[in-house]
Amino acid sequence: MRKIVLLTLCLGLPAGQARAEIDWESKGMQIAGEILANPAAFLYEFQQDLEGTTPLPPGKRYGFQTGLWGGALPTIGVMPSLSGKFRLHGEGRLSPGLPQLDLIGGYWNSPLAGMAADQSDDITDTKFNGHYYGFLLSSSVSPRVRTFWGFKKSQLKAKISFAPTADIKLLGTPVNDIDTGFEDSFFVVGLESPKGLNKLWSIQLNYGMDTQTIASKVSWYGKYFELGLNIYPEGVFVVHPVWNFHLNF
Amino acid sequence: MKKLTLILAITAGLAGRLSAATAESSKIFTPFFDMTLAENGYMPSEGNIFSGGNINTQVGLLAKITEKDQVFGLYNFNYGGPGFAPQDTKQFTDRTLTHGFNFEYRRSLGGHWRVRPGISLSKDYTRSGANETWDQGLYNTESKGFQLAVDYSFDAAHNGFITAQFLTRSIEFPNYTDLFQEFMNPSVTSELSGGQQDQRLTQVSLRPNWNKFFGGVTYTMQKYKNQKVVGATGVATYGDTSEKQEDTTTTLDFGFHHKLWIFELYPVIAYSVHDSNQNYIRYKSIGDVSPYFMADNYSYKELSFSVPLDLNITSKWAVGGAMSVVKRNYESRLRRDKFNNYVAGEKQENTMTTLTGSIRKRINDVAMVRLSYSLVVASSNNEFEQYMPYNYTGNSFGIAYQLSY
Repeated sequence: MRKIVLLTLCLGLPAGQARAEIDWESKGMQIAGEILANPAAFLYEFQQDLEGTTPLPPGKRYGFQTGLWGGALPTIGVMPSLSGKFRLHGEGRLSPGLPQLDLIGGYWNSPLAGMAADQSDDITDTKFNGHYYGFLLSSSVSPRVRTFWGFKKSQLKAKISFAPTADIKLLGTPVNDIDTGFEDSFFVVGLESPKGLNKLWSIQLNYGMDTQTIASKVSWYGKYFELGLNIYPEGVFVVHPVWNFHLNF
Repeated sequence: MKKLTLILAITAGLAGRLSAATAESSKIFTPFFDMTLAENGYMPSEGNIFSGGNINTQVGLLAKITEKDQVFGLYNFNYGGPGFAPQDTKQFTDRTLTHGFNFEYRRSLGGHWRVRPGISLSKDYTRSGANETWDQGLYNTESKGFQLAVDYSFDAAHNGFITAQFLTRSIEFPNYTDLFQEFMNPSVTSELSGGQQDQRLTQVSLRPNWNKFFGGVTYTMQKYKNQKVVGATGVATYGDTSEKQEDTTTTLDFGFHHKLWIFELYPVIAYSVHDSNQNYIRYKSIGDVSPYFMADNYSYKELSFSVPLDLNITSKWAVGGAMSVVKRNYESRLRRDKFNNYVAGEKQENTMTTLTGSIRKRINDVAMVRLSYSLVVASSNNEFEQYMPYNYTGNSFGIAYQLSY
């Protein structure tokens, strides 16, 4: 305990010298500016939270996943999703050393979009959905380490149309509709290692080749749940805690 | 200057890692995977809080064709986000993105010698904010070149070997434009300003390794293809001189990584001499009719050292501390007061000290996670800080994952 107190003091004392006045208003404006500059990229970070981009565990042929929580959103309610994985080839089945090949994909659609259109006279139409598909190759490089790499294509649509009678202005400019979207092809690479019986740990990088979108994921997963930290270093909210539910057969 | 730092770091880093992959004797194909992921929050005494991350991913495959012949391919992805950096290198908010490809052929000659010719391609993106597009970064580069390394093994039992390496890169800056040149010559902008940072980088190094001690001497030469040296008489002679910019950097470094009981120590010390023939003209304003000419503005000597120490409390947990210092003394550049006036007789000196405390947990035999806190103290006798902070303190808190196979 003494060591801990001493360490805390050592770290805390110099911290006082470097304390700065945090300008929260300026920070908030910066965040708002980044969202407005590219709203679709901001929304896509939440889609990445629910995407299943780890390979099926060895011996499993197919699996399902749905997002429960991503970033600051209960994605199970805001962006309900269904993802699937299907193993086309088990590692070493056809030929020794030939990697496991999984097809991956998923779709989500927000009920909030329809509710907004139904309950507001100013909004005539809304769309807020997305999907992704791709494949993963995974190969064991030792009994405790499996590498995986692959490709995914992701797309997100967000649209809101306003009634002609609605007087909607954005920064003083009349707005009839907001129609935005995100689409990119991603290169996926990662490594997986067991943590215990039916427990796995992985780290992966997703890189969007057209938009240079960067996402890194660290996750722990077992039989039913995946807990993760998705890090979007160029994103608005850099760290997204993630909670997904999955079943693999 | 920030490009120099970036290019040297990338060139040295990638070239250094190439020899790190070794073939497992029983396998034809040996994968190489290394990923480091770090995310930090920063609180500087000057400016607002910000966050930044670093991601480095290396994926490689070593193929053993025969007992003596191997082929190694390596892809390197590197993202460097906002963060504190030594003065005169980059802004807090600058970020870089690099894709590097290296292909190397390895041939063993007898029991001691090995030659490793290779080629390299890389593409770098830069930007200073998330609202800019990567494709249009002023300092984006495209690089291609080749290298030849020769290893001599003198003590296999202690992994003792010496590596001599020659590498050359042609580096182009497709987006670079000289705003000053365009301002002075608005009618001929694109012809005059394009390609002024394009350069040929050549590097030779000699690096011995023995029993986890390592060091070496590295000499780097950058020959600019178009960038001319700024003349002494200011506007009228800008670009009129036929002398083109040439920079050289000589670096000596030494380090080791050893364990003694629960102590794990891996210090590194490096001393660099950077020499540039480029000069600088300071205009205080657009209409400044008597600009100040600073000859030999970019030459400096730099000492840097880092002393990290981990105490392995258990096989899983360790607490660590580290101190790192970067000290740069300019050869000729005078320091400036806060009004942008050069102070005669006083050369610019920058120092950046970082103290770090950390807790490390080993997740398994290939992965670890580290929580850290750092205090940064940056000081300089240069008081003109309108564009870049020179004197500040800063706190940073971070989490880092490292996975290596």
